[in-house]
Formats: sequence, C-alpha cells, structure tokens
Amino acid sequence: MFGYIIVNKAEMKYKEFDIYHSYYCGLCRKLKEKYGIWGQISINYDMTFVLMLLTGLYEPETVSGTCRCIAHPFEEQGTLSNVITEYVADMNVVLTNFKCQDDWEDEKKLHKYIYGKLLEGKSKKRKDFYTEKVRNINMMMYDLAEAEKENKKDIDTMSGMFGQVMAQIVVCREDEWSENLGRLGFYLGKFIYLLDAYEDIEEDIQKGTYNPLKKKYDNPDFEDECKTILTMMMSECCKEFEKLPILENVEILRNILYSGVWCRYEVVREKRIRQREKTDE
Amino acid sequence: MNDPYRVLELGRDASEEEIKKSYKALSRRYHPDANINNPSKVQAEEKFKEIQAAYTQIMKERTEGYQYNGGSAYGRNSSYGQNSSYGSGSRYGEDSYGGFGGFGGFGGFGGFGGFGGSGQGANTGYEEDSYLRAAGNYIRSGYYKEARTTLDGVEPQDRNARWYYYSAIANSGLGNNVAALEHARRASAMEPGNSDYQDLVKQFESGGSWYTQRQASYGYPTTGSGNICFRLIIANLICNVCCGGSGMCCGGGGFY
Repeated sequence: MFGYIIVNKAEMKYKEFDIYHSYYCGLCRKLKEKYGIWGQISINYDMTFVLMLLTGLYEPETVSGTCRCIAHPFEEQGTLSNVITEYVADMNVVLTNFKCQDDWEDEKKLHKYIYGKLLEGKSKKRKDFYTEKVRNINMMMYDLAEAEKENKKDIDTMSGMFGQVMAQIVVCREDEWSENLGRLGFYLGKFIYLLDAYEDIEEDIQKGTYNPLKKKYDNPDFEDECKTILTMMMSECCKEFEKLPILENVEILRNILYSGVWCRYEVVREKRIRQREKTDE
Repeated sequence: MNDPYRVLELGRDASEEEIKKSYKALSRRYHPDANINNPSKVQAEEKFKEIQAAYTQIMKERTEGYQYNGGSAYGRNSSYGQNSSYGSGSRYGEDSYGGFGGFGGFGGFGGFGGFGGSGQGANTGYEEDSYLRAAGNYIRSGYYKEARTTLDGVEPQDRNARWYYYSAIANSGLGNNVAALEHARRASAMEPGNSDYQDLVKQFESGGSWYTQRQASYGYPTTGSGNICFRLIIANLICNVCCGGSGMCCGGGGFY
C-alpha cells in the first residue's frame, strides 16, 4: 500500500529534488544501519514525506553526509538525517513488519528482534510512548485485516482504519500539534487506502479478493466519484497541513500534497481508459 | 483575548508565510525550554501560551475563511469561541486506541451558526420527532458520536430529509466524509427547495474546490511516455519487480 505519496518531479526545481532525495537516502541508510537489509528493502517514498513533514514542523538539527549505494553505484549520494529520521525508520519497520507477518516463518523471533531494536537507547518515557504506539498500530492493522476478511463495505469505516494507522505514525509526540497532525495523517491514510483500492479494483473483481470500491464500480460515474472522494480526502489533509507553521522545504511538501499524490492516480486512470477503449473496439 | 495579530506583532493583512515566520520566532523566544533559567519564566510561559493561542486562532480563521467563503460572523464566533467542539463526543473511533483528539473540531462548520438559526425558524414539524430533536441538540454541542447513535435509532423507513441532513453533519464531525457528502446530497435531493441542505452539499464540495484552486500553482501531473512523473513511477514498479523491494538506495558498506 505504498508509493502513492511522491513528488511530481516535472514540477520541481533540481535543488528541491536533491534535498528530497537526500532525505530519502538518509532514511534508507538509517534503516540499513538499524535493521539491516530487511529494514532497508522496506524503504518507500511515502515515509520520506512523513520525515520531511515532521522535520519542517520541528526543525531538528540535521546532519548532511554522502554515501554510495547499490542503486547508483558510480555516484555519491547526498544524505540528510536527523532525530526524526530514526523515528520514521522505526515506524517504517512497524508497518512493513505487520504487512509481512504472514510470510515469515519465525515471525516471533523477528518480531522480538525488531521490537528490541525499536526501543534501543530510548528513555523510559519514550519507551512507553513507543510501546503504546506500536501496540495501537498493530491492533488497528489487525482490525483492518479482520474487517476485510468479513467483507465490510463501508468506505469510511474501512479507509478510516488505515487513516488511524497513518495518524498514529505522523503524531511523533504529544504536543500542541498532535491534533492537527493526527487529522492530517487520518485523511492522508484514507486517501492512500482508497487510491490503493482504486488501482486494484479490476484485479480484485477478477480474483474475487476484497476491495471496498466494488459496490461503486458498476455505477456509470465511478471515475468521477472516485476523483471527488480522493480530492475530498486530500483537501481535508491539506487544510490541516496549511495550519502547521512549516516554512522549511514547504514547497517540496506542497508539491507532494497538491501534485505528486496524483501522479500514480493519473497513471492508473490513463491505463484503465486505454484498456476500456481497447475492449470497446 | 487580545487581538491575535497584535500578539504575533503583525498587521491584519499579513501573509500566511509572515504569520508562520513570526510565530516561529516568537515561540522560540518564549518557549519554556529556552527560559529555564530566566527569572521571569512564569511570564514567559504565559506569553508562550498566548502566542500559541493567537496562532491557532488566526490559522483556523484563515482556513475556514477560504473554505467557507468567510462564513457568517455568527458561525465563526461559535466555532472558535471555545474548545467544546473537541469534546469527548467527537472522538473518531474507539477510545481504546487511545486516539488523539476528535474530528469534531475541524469543520467549525461555519454553517452551524446559520443552522442553529434555521432550526428555530424552520421548526415546522420536522423536529417533532424526539430522536431528531435530540440529534440536533447533540450536533449543536459538538457531540457527534452521540448524535450518530441517536440517528441510528431511527428506523430506515422513517428517515426523512432532515435525518439525512443531521446524519451528514454528524458523519463529517466523525471524519466519515464520504458518507457525509452522500447524505447531504440525499437530503438535498429529497427536498430540493431547502437552502440549508443545498448549502451543506456546497460546503462539502467547496472543500474540494479550495484544494483545486491551490493545486493550480503546483501543476497537475500529466501522463504520456515523455513525462518524468510517469517515468518515475514506472521505474519504481520495475525496481519493485527486480530487486524484490522498492528503491534499494544507499546500501551500506557491504554493498559495493
């Protein structure tokens, strides 16, 4: 369910893209350092957004560096990282850990390992905060998986569950911004969940797997309705974003929120239209 | 409360960026952490709280401003006079998650003001039903969860336009914005002449147009083989397939 919250590179300055990419590389490095290869392959752009969002809000001291990597073996890559990089790396692992739980044989051992790494070096207060957060996220993801098994159809309920998960992730501490961030994450999560459903709808119908949009799919205005719903989610999300006192890299964040999030949507829509034309011919 | 703009040392015409800048500078100066050894740290903390409140008020005013075209003065006052809209009833989901805050606060529903008024004016038997009356009261106080429960107690065959109207507001307050829009449209379709219902639909839809307006300056992605955005996605998809994971970037020591 990742890869939706990205930049629209075409509308970006080179310098901005470099910054964005440096945060991405910083996160990737942190994942590798803390969780090894398992952590590293779980990296995604969506979490880079969360990282830059929280960095813009809290402006922690950020260190720049360089690294080489397997994806670009001949060039040195710039990295930017700070205390939030670690938080986001942890959250990234919590999310992907849950996703893969079914696949791993010695799931418990791994869970224990990850859990230990998560809490490493944290103060008592921070440990409690993390423990509760991880428990909440796991509980919500579990509930969501169960609701999908039960074939629940209410769009708000289903997407809202993932919204709650995202809210948990973006609220990295309890303070005056928790409420705004929580709502921002909630609607962003709803957006991600529904865009994912929108992308997979045909496949899910074919395979008979769960999809919350199935009921709407037969409506002649399915496309318009999906667009309206998705726009509504981003609109609510952005209303909260604009209330936050973010100045640093705000143009990159806005590029993502107002433009980048629609890249994948457009690719999917275009493909669908072309396929329909083909079948009509 | 003092004029929030004066607290932030700004004029009323300050841009959003100026507001954020000024807030950041001032809150840094008066932040409790920065004043631990300050003999007048109590005053500093007071000042910090004042700055916080001023900022929150201005941002709320501005977001609701462009969202609801300014809204009526009445609606506005009622929406930030107090924090009651964040009250216990407005939490989304179960408290067992230890969720944060409610989704009730947000709308402020500029419309609420007008809505209270219309409730009095248009008391033409709609609210004879005690369920609807109770739901209306809950909504006016920001207790969306209670309103929802009350509304759900009405039998499906008894659900009239007013029911859908209240249901739309309650859903919106609970973060269920898809159902909110559906129910507002339903209310409006059942009673096309009612301007309250039409306004609510517009209110929900205008959130979208506010967004689209802002979107214009960031460029909407276009597809086509030459487009960079498109290529970035394709590259990601391919990468997913062959590396078994997305974007294996920045390998550490052992990788090269």
